[in-house]
Amino acid sequence: MSKIKCNHCHLEFEENIMIKENDLNFCCKGCQGVYHLLKNDGLDSFYEKLGNKTIAPPLELNNDDASKFDSLNFLDNYVSRTKEGFSQIDLIIEGIHCAACVWLNEKILHDTKGIVEANINFTTNKAKIIWNEEKLKLSEIILKIRSIGYNAYAYDSSVADVQASKAKRDYFIRMMVAVVFSMNIMMLSVAKYTGFFTGISKEVKDMIHIGEFLLSTPVLFYSGWIFFKGGYYGLKNRMINMDFLVATGSTATYIYSLFILFGAKGESYFDSVAMIITFVLVGKYLEVIGKKSAIDTLDKIKSTLPLEAVVIKDNQRKVVALNSLNIGDIIEIKAGEKVPVDGKIVLGSGSFDESTLTGESIPIYKKVNDTVFSGTINIDSLIQFEVTKSFKNSTFSSIVSLLEDSLNSKPAIQTKAAEISKGFSITILSLAFATFIVWYFLGLDLGFDYEGTDTFERSFIVAVSVVVIACPCALALATPMASLIGISELAKKGLLFKEAKFIETLAVANCVVFDKTGTLTKGELNVVKARFLDDNIYKVQLLYSLLDASKHPVSISIKKYLESKYENLEIKNLQNVKNIEAKGMSATYKNIEEKEFEIIGGNIELLREFEISYKFDSSKTVYLFAINKKVVATFELEDNIKDDAKDLIDYLQNKNIDVIMLTGDNEHVASKIANELNIKKYFAKQTPISKANYIKELKKENKIVVMVGDGVNDSVALSNSDVAVAMGSSADISLAVSDIVLLNSTLKSLKEAFEISNKTYKYIKQNLALSIIYNIVTIPLAMAGYVIPLIAALSMSLSSLMVVLNSLRIKMK
Amino acid sequence: MINDTLFFMLIVGIIISAGLLLLFIWAAKSGQFDDANKMVNGLLYDSVEDLNDAIRKENNLKEAKEEKLKSEKDKLKECEASQKLD
Repeated sequence: MSKIKCNHCHLEFEENIMIKENDLNFCCKGCQGVYHLLKNDGLDSFYEKLGNKTIAPPLELNNDDASKFDSLNFLDNYVSRTKEGFSQIDLIIEGIHCAACVWLNEKILHDTKGIVEANINFTTNKAKIIWNEEKLKLSEIILKIRSIGYNAYAYDSSVADVQASKAKRDYFIRMMVAVVFSMNIMMLSVAKYTGFFTGISKEVKDMIHIGEFLLSTPVLFYSGWIFFKGGYYGLKNRMINMDFLVATGSTATYIYSLFILFGAKGESYFDSVAMIITFVLVGKYLEVIGKKSAIDTLDKIKSTLPLEAVVIKDNQRKVVALNSLNIGDIIEIKAGEKVPVDGKIVLGSGSFDESTLTGESIPIYKKVNDTVFSGTINIDSLIQFEVTKSFKNSTFSSIVSLLEDSLNSKPAIQTKAAEISKGFSITILSLAFATFIVWYFLGLDLGFDYEGTDTFERSFIVAVSVVVIACPCALALATPMASLIGISELAKKGLLFKEAKFIETLAVANCVVFDKTGTLTKGELNVVKARFLDDNIYKVQLLYSLLDASKHPVSISIKKYLESKYENLEIKNLQNVKNIEAKGMSATYKNIEEKEFEIIGGNIELLREFEISYKFDSSKTVYLFAINKKVVATFELEDNIKDDAKDLIDYLQNKNIDVIMLTGDNEHVASKIANELNIKKYFAKQTPISKANYIKELKKENKIVVMVGDGVNDSVALSNSDVAVAMGSSADISLAVSDIVLLNSTLKSLKEAFEISNKTYKYIKQNLALSIIYNIVTIPLAMAGYVIPLIAALSMSLSSLMVVLNSLRIKMK
Repeated sequence: MINDTLFFMLIVGIIISAGLLLLFIWAAKSGQFDDANKMVNGLLYDSVEDLNDAIRKENNLKEAKEEKLKSEKDKLKECEASQKLD
């Protein structure tokens, strides 16, 4: 059957399921409604802007909850006042796919009377809306957004978010100033260096020096200001940090070059000043961006929790903000709603989707006295529970606040780099100072011809030349150059390293911790054994129809299995379809002769409930299907190990790296998987917090830990590890806290990550050795006053070239 | 002569690029580069209709602010009047 495009969302569907309207085709009522609304409001240029891109069909939303946006509670918590007296709210808009979506939302909001300003950020999907509450209610704004097929959640714009936005803008401006001026300086430098070989008059050279001086001054004192500030705060805390090294190195080079500019003999290095500041600043800016995007993701995650809860008091239902909930309050939640705070069930029972916390996709049945956790979803029934923990101390909020903390502290190798730089800078500064003292007090006049200079001037130039020559590009480039090439090689294979330093950490790691579901296993149930006691296609179709009515992962897997086995399966018209909490489903069916059949499908407990005695022993997930109390089919389902898992584990064990598996699953399943993969150390029934604690324990034993995971349940453990690796298909939050993302979600690519990192690390060490040899040779020469300007300029370029060429070898096989 | 020309060009070049840089700093400080994706797609949304919309938006904002100021003043007057009556 041919496929045609929906006129609103542009997705393709089979012709027979489309809603036809003259020449128009729609995939659903939602698309049809939005299409006409946009036409009537003169907003149909949206489709021109959308071009050939597709969007998701409008979300099916229940607008009954809109009034909650006007409650005093809500307004108090989320609406602020502008200085003009208007109301302001921060929203996250769900359903934005492209710039046309942003245009449409902004346009429809601006055309609404009462809205003063609406600004939507395409990158973060965050919106700032200012409106006149005398003319318009907040609920009307939310309904307006929903009318065009999107949804909006309020979020509490945190102090961290405001600070990160400010820092990002500040770093961006400083970086761009540095980049623009450095590019101009380099143009002048090319002319100057060419002049070394072709001849250059003193006037032209002086002129170039003046130009370089004018251009490098703002780079050092405006763009580089953050290094002076960082260095100062470091000194205040009695620490010589990287910022101090950058600040002293570049200032010394700048002062030396000023001497040259004002007549001293030698070569100016204004270009080095600008390049040092620019390179380091670009790295810092990338770090700031990373932090900002992690905060944006956290805000998105936080906005998915409900804002209020229904509290039952004296048989009355009252809506209360989550922060105002007290321990002991009774809360009611309907099917499909998220649990807002931790509690104990007092009425009702049902299945809960805990995948956000445990990573396990199979819903868990909970009854009276069982504990429910915030962030999990109540799938199928009405539940009342007693609050046992405040909103701030509930599981979901604890995870979010742990992640917020971890964003501010990711020390690992950074501290080591700072230590090395501390040692390096103290040595060089001491050597330079010693040089000055020796030259000044002994009145030395060695090496280069410093004609026309007095003892102080001569001593100062020589001392500064020691600092300049010791802060060479080679040492600065040794690690970043090899890392850059390593990173680009890794990216080609679908391995995204968020920062170059993780190449080093991965290469020296001695312990790899894996999550089970979704990481070592495929994370989806597959039918491993199916038995049809009655192979009548008619009965298979009844089973297929029953499965079609359920969204339970077990039903979806068996449905897929039937579709692969049988052709032309038809969906029969079932009556009285009932969802029996955490057990399965039942329904009735009348055939042409009006004969009624009772059909049920689910676990062994469902059969007992329908008084069907049937014996079935299995360690796997079981689904049984019965018609008129007679079992006609049985299915056993299991999560499969990924194809390349064994190969990776063997590789790691051969390299003497400890392999450990942590899972939220039970002991039985965990031991089976561990045995198959030959993993000797594993821990079952782990919670997000216990996983994180275990990682901390490993780190206390001085292990360098790599954590590989995919779910929200792994995110805290990921953020505590030295290197966090997430699968490309992972939850947003895991991607935000991870250091390495495996885009194609295969474990084979993780093996490649280890191989390339080892290779890159080898070349980094070689580069460092080369630059250290360079320093050992040149520093004594500089101290003795033998650094002839031309040689200095050439050797600086040559040492950099040497490092670049060596790094390029990473690309060779 | 050549050196003078070179020097003149160098200074003019620096002044022009400094001017452009100041313009960039103003744009960045006013938040025009905060949303990288929107900025990249910005060219696609520069039709006459979009530019007219932008002007209308500015005018609406001005009107709304004036209206709000007036209504606040009216409220204040009413309040003062009622206090006098008391």
